Amino acid sequence: MNKQILEIDHLTVTIGDDKIIKDISMSFYRKKVTAIMGPSGCGKTTLVRCINRMHELIPNTVVSGSISLYKKNIYEMNPIMVRREIGMVFQRPNPFPTMSIYDNVIAGYILNGIKLKRTEKDQIVESSLHKAGLWNEVKDALHRRGAFLSGGQQQRLCIARALAMKPRVLLLDEPTSALDPKSTAHIEDLISELKETVTIIMVTHNIGQASRVSDFTAFLYLGELIEYGTTEKLFTVPDDKRTEEYLSRKFG
Amino acid sequence: MDQLSTRLFKDLAFRIYLVITTMILLVPLGLILYYIVRNGIAVISWDFLTSLPKPPGTSGAGIANAIVGSGLLIGTAALLSIPFGITLGLFLTEFSNSRLASVVRICVEILQGIPSIVIGIMAYLWIVVPMGGFSALSGGIALALMMLPMIIRSTEETLKLIPHSLKEASLGLGVPYYRTMIKIIVPAGFNGILTGILLGVARVAGETAPLLFTAFGNPFMTLNVTQPINSLPLIIYNFATSPYADWQQIAWGASLILILFVLGLSLLTRTLIKR
Repeated sequence: MNKQILEIDHLTVTIGDDKIIKDISMSFYRKKVTAIMGPSGCGKTTLVRCINRMHELIPNTVVSGSISLYKKNIYEMNPIMVRREIGMVFQRPNPFPTMSIYDNVIAGYILNGIKLKRTEKDQIVESSLHKAGLWNEVKDALHRRGAFLSGGQQQRLCIARALAMKPRVLLLDEPTSALDPKSTAHIEDLISELKETVTIIMVTHNIGQASRVSDFTAFLYLGELIEYGTTEKLFTVPDDKRTEEYLSRKFG
Repeated sequence: MDQLSTRLFKDLAFRIYLVITTMILLVPLGLILYYIVRNGIAVISWDFLTSLPKPPGTSGAGIANAIVGSGLLIGTAALLSIPFGITLGLFLTEFSNSRLASVVRICVEILQGIPSIVIGIMAYLWIVVPMGGFSALSGGIALALMMLPMIIRSTEETLKLIPHSLKEASLGLGVPYYRTMIKIIVPAGFNGILTGILLGVARVAGETAPLLFTAFGNPFMTLNVTQPINSLPLIIYNFATSPYADWQQIAWGASLILILFVLGLSLLTRTLIKR
């Protein structure tokens, strides 16, 4: 059977007066890709941000319920430790503009003041870039700044940066929404490869993307979890009428 | 048809008016530079830069102590104002909507508007009187108060433009907030902050009023910040108002050096802004 790594238990989120997430409970499986899809404003980005506590950056956010990683409640952990275990890649590529490609990959170590030997650094940089499928394109320019990279390459650099911290879970918040179709295809292939080593939770507003790369899919609508199951089942015989309507693009 | 040609004529006349007015306004600026260069260039030599001022009537006088003094005063001012200025700028960006931030913004505006002579008096009361004498330190503090608003503002303006996504990227890697600020946000705005610092230096380099009763002036060379010290604006003020022709000549030379320094800073700032 599939092993559960992360459990969300009765999670409710309000920002100011708006209830963004309404009593969601679900579990994520180890080394699988789970897609969270739904129309704009359904709360999918808020949901993943709660998973590594990035929602705490937004003022007036109130969270109830719990999220646990290997049975440990992340809201009782130090947010800094949570974010090292649960990495995140954002909608728009955001490499650090003042750092070289090499330093960008190990930025998590540099910025946290973790000292590494030269050989360890080289090894982490090389393996992370390999995993992100970027090594061959940048291996001769490691000490240049990343500004000359294309949007897709920058996004893969951000994935390499997240992987370098060896997280157990990787959150991808619409990672391809700012990219062209070719870069999108490249990142989708990458996601399928990455699940060998890491659990992936991916937000997408692209139905096709969810069906192509995920093992499980959750459908969110107006802050509620409407349906959650294997991608195959959800896309072929959905239980809920709203899922069916969303999939046939009647709304969203 | 007639109406159209009148309009075209008016348009042309207005353009000519703009160009001519601009030219007229450039005349005084050109004259200032011309007079300073013409009067100052004669005394400038290596000796002028490396010798001390001498009594009127003796040859080989220089402004070495004023150049060193100006450097020391500006250095002290920069050392004091840069860390505080960047910190306050960062505060204003991070707590942009808080009540304290709006109070701070008003204070910065007021500080910027305070006449430099008043800042000099305050530095005299706060530092010169308790310390029992004029000093480079008190002059540096007066100049620091004048630089502070420029650094705070340029830091805030620059950091406001840094995309929020960079902060998220850093926090998302498990980097603590304070390290994110120091290692990511401030370095990302380095150019803009440096521009503000250089503009601040250019502004205080020529300040005389706050130094009159703080740094006071000193005919000798000193590197001791607890002693009175000379500076370029002070030597210009003291020598230009003296009755001796050779001292007045030295004041012209010192003016030229000061202007070259400030011009150099502005050019440097321009190239930084372009990058």
